[in-house]
Amino acid sequence: MSNTEHGHHESGLGHIVPVKFLAFICGILLFLTAVTVWVSRYDFTEINIAEMGIIMALAVATVKATIVGLYFMHLRWDRPFIAFIFVGSMLFVVLFIGIALTDSMAYQPEIIKGNTPKVTEALEKLQH
Amino acid sequence: MSTLTPNNPNDNYLNHTKGIRSWLLTLDHKRIGIMYLICILLAFLMGGIFAMMIRFHLLTPEGTFMTQDQYNQAFTVHGAIMVFLVIIPAVPAALGNFVLPIMLGAKDVAFPKLNLFSWYLWIFGLVFFLIALGSGGIDTGWTFYTPYSIDKASSMGGVIPALIGTFILGFSSIFTGMNFIVTIHRLRPKGMTWFRMPLFLWATYATAIIQVLATPVIGITLLLLVVERTMGIGIFDPAMGGDPVLYQHFFWFYSHPAVYIMILPAMGIVSELISVHSHRHIFGYKFIAYSSIAIAMFGFLVWGHHMFTSGQSQLMNVIFSLITFSVSIPSAVKVFNWLATLYKGSIVLNTPMIYGLSFIFIFTIGGLTGLYCATLATDIHLHDSYFIVAHFHYVMMGSALIGFLGGIHHWWPKMTGKMYHEGWGQISSTMVFVGFNVTFFSQFMLGSKGMPRRYATYIEMPEFQVYHIWSTSGSVILALGFVICAIYLLHSCFCGKKAPANPWGGRSLEWQCTSPPPWDNFAEQPEVGDCYDYSVLEWNEEEQGYVWRADAKHPGEENV
Amino acid sequence: MMLSTVSSLLLATTQGAPANFWLPKQASTSAQGVDFTFFVITWICYFFFFAIVAALLIFMIKYRRKGHEIIVRGPTHNTPLELAWTILPLILVVVIFVVGMRGYLDLREAPAGSYDIQVTGQKWSWTFDHTEYGATQVGELTVPVGTPVRLLMTSNDVLHSLWIPDFRVKQDVVPGRYTSLWFEALAVGDYNLNCAEYCGKDHSKMFSIVHVVPKEEFPVIMTKLASEYEDMSIGELPAYAINRLYNRCQSCHSLDGTSGTGPSFQGLWDRVSKGEAEFTSGEKLSNLLGDATTYNIPENYIRTSILDPQAHIVQGYLGSMPSFQGQLKDKQITAVIEMFKHLDEVTDAEGNITVNPDGTPRQ
Repeated sequence: MSNTEHGHHESGLGHIVPVKFLAFICGILLFLTAVTVWVSRYDFTEINIAEMGIIMALAVATVKATIVGLYFMHLRWDRPFIAFIFVGSMLFVVLFIGIALTDSMAYQPEIIKGNTPKVTEALEKLQH
Repeated sequence: MSTLTPNNPNDNYLNHTKGIRSWLLTLDHKRIGIMYLICILLAFLMGGIFAMMIRFHLLTPEGTFMTQDQYNQAFTVHGAIMVFLVIIPAVPAALGNFVLPIMLGAKDVAFPKLNLFSWYLWIFGLVFFLIALGSGGIDTGWTFYTPYSIDKASSMGGVIPALIGTFILGFSSIFTGMNFIVTIHRLRPKGMTWFRMPLFLWATYATAIIQVLATPVIGITLLLLVVERTMGIGIFDPAMGGDPVLYQHFFWFYSHPAVYIMILPAMGIVSELISVHSHRHIFGYKFIAYSSIAIAMFGFLVWGHHMFTSGQSQLMNVIFSLITFSVSIPSAVKVFNWLATLYKGSIVLNTPMIYGLSFIFIFTIGGLTGLYCATLATDIHLHDSYFIVAHFHYVMMGSALIGFLGGIHHWWPKMTGKMYHEGWGQISSTMVFVGFNVTFFSQFMLGSKGMPRRYATYIEMPEFQVYHIWSTSGSVILALGFVICAIYLLHSCFCGKKAPANPWGGRSLEWQCTSPPPWDNFAEQPEVGDCYDYSVLEWNEEEQGYVWRADAKHPGEENV
Repeated sequence: MMLSTVSSLLLATTQGAPANFWLPKQASTSAQGVDFTFFVITWICYFFFFAIVAALLIFMIKYRRKGHEIIVRGPTHNTPLELAWTILPLILVVVIFVVGMRGYLDLREAPAGSYDIQVTGQKWSWTFDHTEYGATQVGELTVPVGTPVRLLMTSNDVLHSLWIPDFRVKQDVVPGRYTSLWFEALAVGDYNLNCAEYCGKDHSKMFSIVHVVPKEEFPVIMTKLASEYEDMSIGELPAYAINRLYNRCQSCHSLDGTSGTGPSFQGLWDRVSKGEAEFTSGEKLSNLLGDATTYNIPENYIRTSILDPQAHIVQGYLGSMPSFQGQLKDKQITAVIEMFKHLDEVTDAEGNITVNPDGTPRQ
């Protein structure tokens, strides 16, 4: 069996992250989740940026994803090449979502407004 | 040191351990490859039966023997089985699993248990497809376009199990891809640098990248479709403000790279077939290796060419059309390289070579007709017509499947330790070639003259009947060719001549172990040299195979 | 036959070219651009195909292996050659792309002042509304020759695609959205119109005919169509309504008894004339029929349902019916009512239409 580990640990097991540390990171993530929930309920119009809610939620999501990637996915302690692969895959996501959304936006003028009977139904149910 | 014989010459991976449990719980990549091969060929039989039903039904304009609903189910199930159960896994899972580690010089893949798990996932996917057939069937087309696939009143009850089955099959594909990437990165023996790898491994590597990067997208798409159908979230259903064209973006973002999953490994096999069976060093090795990666990368940028008439914006249409042409260039380069490999070769027209040459002929037509599909003005006319059906059968069946068959024949002696009957092999491969062309060439004309696809009847267009009759006649020859192939291959398992280690004179590492290989592939670390240099081999009459020449330098001593 | 094949191929890119080995006749002005592109590609393909196959055959024969001896010869690598056969095809495909893009832009940009027709695709028929004339055609489309015609299309249910092969035009029809295509027909005649996006059971039966008529005849035909029902007697109205008007009700109201977004028309007249309907407001229909009531006779109730559907919503339904105010003339509403009264004469139990618009039985 060839030795496939290049790590600097002679044990061959690789870097082990202490459970307490992982629990701490989990705590941070839960806190950030609470922030997101608060943001979704807070009315931001007084700050004059109505989309502030969305901006904040997306910013928090980015921070959370980065934390998950760095610590839970071990990227902080791995070779830079691994992080490069991770970021590279994100580029494909951007490509995919970006083009699909660009296309969607381009044909918005052709959408027939108000032709959504099921939405009407759902709204009516909510009102009763 | 040319053939590394195990300690017990009669011991090989087939008889090393016995019993059904030793197969179903095996971690040996070779056994897993064989299990995949058997299952995939059975699925191919199933899909093929539906294909014959379709062809016979279309002999008359009113439809010969099925109702509209039955026909719609037939083409849906044919497509779904062939795409998800057969062609996507075929070369990577069946042949790749068997050949890749040995060709690389390793003892197994990086994650043998994951490998077995991938096979079980394929089986679960099959089970869900069978459940789908039993619980109402599916008639949405293998593409599951919305809103038709959301509307429970329209499409049949088997849609959800089929979607779940496909989701599971996606994971089988992802895990196989992951396994191969890590194996190629990490388990290469000393001397096996990237540019000493046989081209089949380059092709498999490029395929594995696509499998890992693209398949999750279809997974999420099908999951969204299931949720849409069951819980009505309103992402694709216009009645709830959703966008049916968005589904097409999601679907084709995977399904276009998927076709490169189908063709790249087959091209890798063809590189091996052409080189080995003409004893010619492959021409332009680096170009072919790079072109595989290029096809894999560019393949992600062109999915919109399936949607030129769908309502996609004009700007996107133009962009996708332009980029699509870029993918055609690496493929063309490969064809020219193979032709240059044949130049001044020493060509033997045995069964694997016939399949290799068939591939070049058929892929040329398939690739050239792709030009019509990539071009905006012509695709508007040809989209959703039989022209497209003909084009994708030329590339998926005539190329990918024929590459698969060529690979099966090329590695058959290695996998089974038996030689099949060469005469029948030549007859059957020729029948497949002729039958295929007769079946599908007439469909190009059917399409360009105006017959749409997925039509159960064509009563208003009876002038097309003659093309359909041509096509069905060809399919009979094609089917016969496959049947003959199945017969002599099965026959060889029981009564075939014993195969030598190197019947064809190949230089890659799999030809350096016995046929069949021992359970751990190599008793000693194999030596890696130039895998396309045949000058070191010579024919040995007693073995009826090729052996290392006594006066030839060994890889350790070679100046490479 | 060989000669006519070759000559038709050479003529294939002139406007109005007849059918040839690959393509049907050109029947629209845009077809020329499409066919020109098609044949540019075709001749490039012929060249490469024959070159590659010739090379294959020559090598197969010339370099046939004799015996088992291994002969190693031949180049493995030739950079100028490899660059050449990468760059030359690259140039060729860019040429193809440009030619194709120009043909495409012509297909997409309708000239100003085109004659607009509203098209609705649904399972499994095409409806063409000539809004300028107030005429509707189902299953056939009449257009004037030599006039740019623009189709503004949408779908009532699932994806469909409108394809007229002889005109070389195709465009998917998407529910909830408008898509369009345009053409200018070159010659009088009949042309096939097919649905080209799988839409379920009768996808292959979703056929229409395009009748291209001389310019002067077109307004005459349209006006006649628009007032087709005006000269009909009461007895002829059910056949007219089920063929010409029912398609607008089809997506919500079935003919075979299945309840959809709206109640089925099968048995409807029976229920309405007996007053057997309860509304979401709690009101009963039976209280609204009879002397000195809101509706008096059932016909009045039906008339109101069509013009003001929100007035009374039947229990168990959501009230999603749009109003047809302004869309249907008085006599057309009468025709719909007569259709309800005589529904079993114009449909069968499975909901299939059994008569043609002129009253003759349908095959």
